[in-house]
Amino acid sequence: MMQQTIVDYIKNEIHGGDPELEIEPEDDLLGSGLLGSMEMMRLVEHLETTYDFRVAPQDMAIENFMTVAAMAAYVERVKA
Amino acid sequence: MIHLLQHAVFAAAARYPRREAFVCGTERMTYAELSRKVRQLAQTLRAQGVEPGDRVGIYLNRCVETAVAIYGILHAGGVYVPLNPKAPATQNAYVIEDCGIDVLVSHPSQKRSLKALMGAGSRVQKIIGGAKTDGRVRVTGWETVFADTPEGIAPGRRVETDLAYIIYTSGSTGKPKGIMHSHASGLAFARNAAARYDLSFEDRFGNHAPIYFDISQLAYFAAPLVGGTAVIATDAETIFPASLGRLMERERITVWYSVPLALVQLLNSGTADTLVLDKVRYLFYAGEALAPKYARQLFPLFPGAQFGNWYGPAETNVCTCYDLPGPPEGEAPIPIGDVWQNTDRLIVGADDEKVSPGETGELLIRTTTQMLGYWNLPGRSAKAWFVRRVAGDLEQRFYRTGDLVREEENGCLHFLGRADHQVKIRGYRVELSAVERLLLASPAVREACALALSGGKDGALQLTALVILQAPGIMTEKELLAYLRDELPWYAVPETILFRGHFPRTATDKIDRSKLKSELVA
Repeated sequence: MMQQTIVDYIKNEIHGGDPELEIEPEDDLLGSGLLGSMEMMRLVEHLETTYDFRVAPQDMAIENFMTVAAMAAYVERVKA
Repeated sequence: MIHLLQHAVFAAAARYPRREAFVCGTERMTYAELSRKVRQLAQTLRAQGVEPGDRVGIYLNRCVETAVAIYGILHAGGVYVPLNPKAPATQNAYVIEDCGIDVLVSHPSQKRSLKALMGAGSRVQKIIGGAKTDGRVRVTGWETVFADTPEGIAPGRRVETDLAYIIYTSGSTGKPKGIMHSHASGLAFARNAAARYDLSFEDRFGNHAPIYFDISQLAYFAAPLVGGTAVIATDAETIFPASLGRLMERERITVWYSVPLALVQLLNSGTADTLVLDKVRYLFYAGEALAPKYARQLFPLFPGAQFGNWYGPAETNVCTCYDLPGPPEGEAPIPIGDVWQNTDRLIVGADDEKVSPGETGELLIRTTTQMLGYWNLPGRSAKAWFVRRVAGDLEQRFYRTGDLVREEENGCLHFLGRADHQVKIRGYRVELSAVERLLLASPAVREACALALSGGKDGALQLTALVILQAPGIMTEKELLAYLRDELPWYAVPETILFRGHFPRTATDKIDRSKLKSELVA
């Protein structure tokens, strides 16, 4: 559910609703060029606003943001 | 004898086969593995018709394959042309057309932007490591490349002064220019660095820059030359500074070379003081100035490091260096030092005559690391050189850097800005970088950019400053202007100060001034 929300945001808000775009939960978002640094920051801000939390500086790390799966798991951990 | 860049890899493989050559993310490649893969790729390229002198594009993100690609293309006798997969497809299509690239070395992870590139009508016919969906293009998977038994390649008669790679400038004005470099110039850079700083097989080189930026050449060329390990930060690690710091610690980096931005981001990540970075023995930076206040904050993080400010346009690679004696005092900009070995210089005025000692002039450089010229631009290339007749028809060529410097009595050079960053405001000469430095000196300011735009009465040039504050609202425009008026002549004080959250950056991490300008004009 959370994963789908993130995928939808990337598709609609960052890639203008591109119908051909397929994003797997384990895709390397930055390495594949799907997200640049600006877009990653936008996505992080969107998650913070939507789920009402702030990412601690030590959590701004690749383990938590490399893939859609990692991001969803991180947000769920923080909200728990 | 190492006279071609790839010889360094083969020599390292003979001497240190099991030492790590390249590390990126979770991938670790020894010299033996690298040597084998280089030979396999070269064989594949030859089998696909790549001939000595052919330009082959590298279309990769940050990954270990970049090392295989660079050296595989060179071993096949080709010329490698690194492309930026994040650049607009039309820009990459232009470069491909300009230097006649038929073959790309890539990876399936790049399939989305490769598709856009092919859609922009590029002439590429073959892709190594492309994805299966690339329609009319012949694709050879990496698995196929590495399944081959490498047999010898006819080496051909290659000479060190032959073209080895072409680095395209992002070109702030007009079309990108291809800077042509030879095996000799690439090896000369690696040798200069290795000799001056006594680099060895025990060194672990931390790399941040992409391969289309020559800052990456310390890791990619000098590491194999000495048999050391190149640790390539992944794209993700360059975007998450906390992860970059942990990479430096975990991989026990001993030599770091990057743009200042990477270090400043590390400082601002809020995690830097939890890291133990005492293994770093050299911290080099280039590409932009490092503000003295940031240098002071970095020193305690790297207690074992000698800091070095390196300077040099991509046309000459690094040509001067300044070994910082300690944390800088005050706000005076850190000098660029003097030319290092095998390098000559002149400082000239507008008439190409040497300036008097201590006077400002343009820096001209003559060195073994300099380019052969610009690809297919003989006129532009000719203009880049100052030619000094020595005797008879013996000439010396100096590259015109377009940078203004001033020499101290002891020969130490101070960088004063681009000749074209000087503007005339109401008839007075203003150095934009001086305004920026002053703004940066304020503890409230994180980053600053000064621009001259037509706007006043009669469209006269006016100064606008853009500032990123350390925290929103900690200083007002009025307060910053008052601070500037205390320090600057009246004509150099900006008309307005605009606050921003971030600056657009070029592919080489410099503040993208043309983009900022066009945003303001719109």
